[in-house]
Amino acid sequence: MNGKFQEAFDSIHAEEALKARTKAFLEQKTNGYRPKKALPYYRLAPVMACFLFVLAGFWGYQLYFTQTSVISIDINPSVELGVNRFDRVVSAKAYNDDGEELLGSVEVNFKEYTQALDEILNSDIITDCLSRDEILSIAVVGSDETQSGRILSDVQACTAGQKNAFCYLASPEEMEEAHELGLSYGKYRAYLAMQEIDPDITPEEVQQMTMREIRDLLAASGDPDILQQFPGMQDGTSGQGGPGGQGPGQGPGWHGGKRKQQSAG
Amino acid sequence: MRSEQEANRAIERHADTVRRLCMIHLKNYADTEDIFQTVFLKYVLSTVTFESDAHERAWFIRVTINACKDLLRNFFRSRTVPIDELAEQAAALPDDHREVLEAVLSLPAKYRDVVYLHYYENYTAPEIGKILGKNVNTVYTLLTRSRQLLKEKLGGDGYEWEVSGSV
Repeated sequence: MNGKFQEAFDSIHAEEALKARTKAFLEQKTNGYRPKKALPYYRLAPVMACFLFVLAGFWGYQLYFTQTSVISIDINPSVELGVNRFDRVVSAKAYNDDGEELLGSVEVNFKEYTQALDEILNSDIITDCLSRDEILSIAVVGSDETQSGRILSDVQACTAGQKNAFCYLASPEEMEEAHELGLSYGKYRAYLAMQEIDPDITPEEVQQMTMREIRDLLAASGDPDILQQFPGMQDGTSGQGGPGGQGPGQGPGWHGGKRKQQSAG
Repeated sequence: MRSEQEANRAIERHADTVRRLCMIHLKNYADTEDIFQTVFLKYVLSTVTFESDAHERAWFIRVTINACKDLLRNFFRSRTVPIDELAEQAAALPDDHREVLEAVLSLPAKYRDVVYLHYYENYTAPEIGKILGKNVNTVYTLLTRSRQLLKEKLGGDGYEWEVSGSV
């Protein structure tokens, strides 16, 4: 043992004042050496209420803004309305310039789809098109068959006065394919039909054509199989599929991609 | 959390050790007070069970050294030196043993711990290695170098530089 080191360090002591201040500090920091009490339940209630409120808000938002059905409208303006489980329009998307113009002229968001359809069908752009004997194609797509069927009935009722209006059910899978090509559903079906007479035709070209132009081109081909793929052409001569197209009870004309055309109206 | 009695007993038992370690690392009294608060609060809040007094002592030494290093690593502190720091430290040393203590404080920081732990606390090199988290051979090297430096400062007279059986 080295005595000098021992003596030297032995002479160093913690001052009593330092010890006292440390004890006081510990007393204060530990709240008198009392363990922290768990927060009582009633103190947590506001936090839980806020949490539930946020959760309910989020859930409600999801519930309201999730579209369960889509109404795809093609004449030349091509637009699609997303409808939620409460039958309200939660999205409106245009698929060409005319569609943009149409949506710019009507206010459909958050309205009931019947009201929204009325507004669209009575808009100047659509009435003008129909007066020129254009063809109106309305496809209803949805994973909930009950809602889709109900919407289709209502759509048929809305278009009851239009001789060139064709309404039908379509499958969500086909709708997805249409969207991948940047087309609304009606134009997608028209594009598929057009491809059979002109394989080089592009989705963009079809997008800008009116349904009447497409139908006339298909009619000119004279191929009954191709004609079967367009609403109102089932007899190969005329475009008179309306009014109202086919009912849900009769089964969808193009449902499931089978290209089965049934008598409309 | 430990009781007030346990805290007071630990302060009475280990305050001097903590104070000595603060003396060899820190240069002002305010920092020493900070370290006291940090170390003993850690003890009060700690759930460590000590197997023996020696185990508890070693825990205090390790925690104090780490707390001092943390304090000295502080960004602001590492770039500033209070003007009265050196004067304060010199004044704090007891006159009777000023020569020895000044020699220890003049050593580079890495030697001071091993010198204190070996020559005062009588820990062996493996024990020091365990407390400081260093390799035993590193501890031997640090001890040899610090011994040479202390010899140069203090001379050989009256000092036993070798501690038999420890190193």
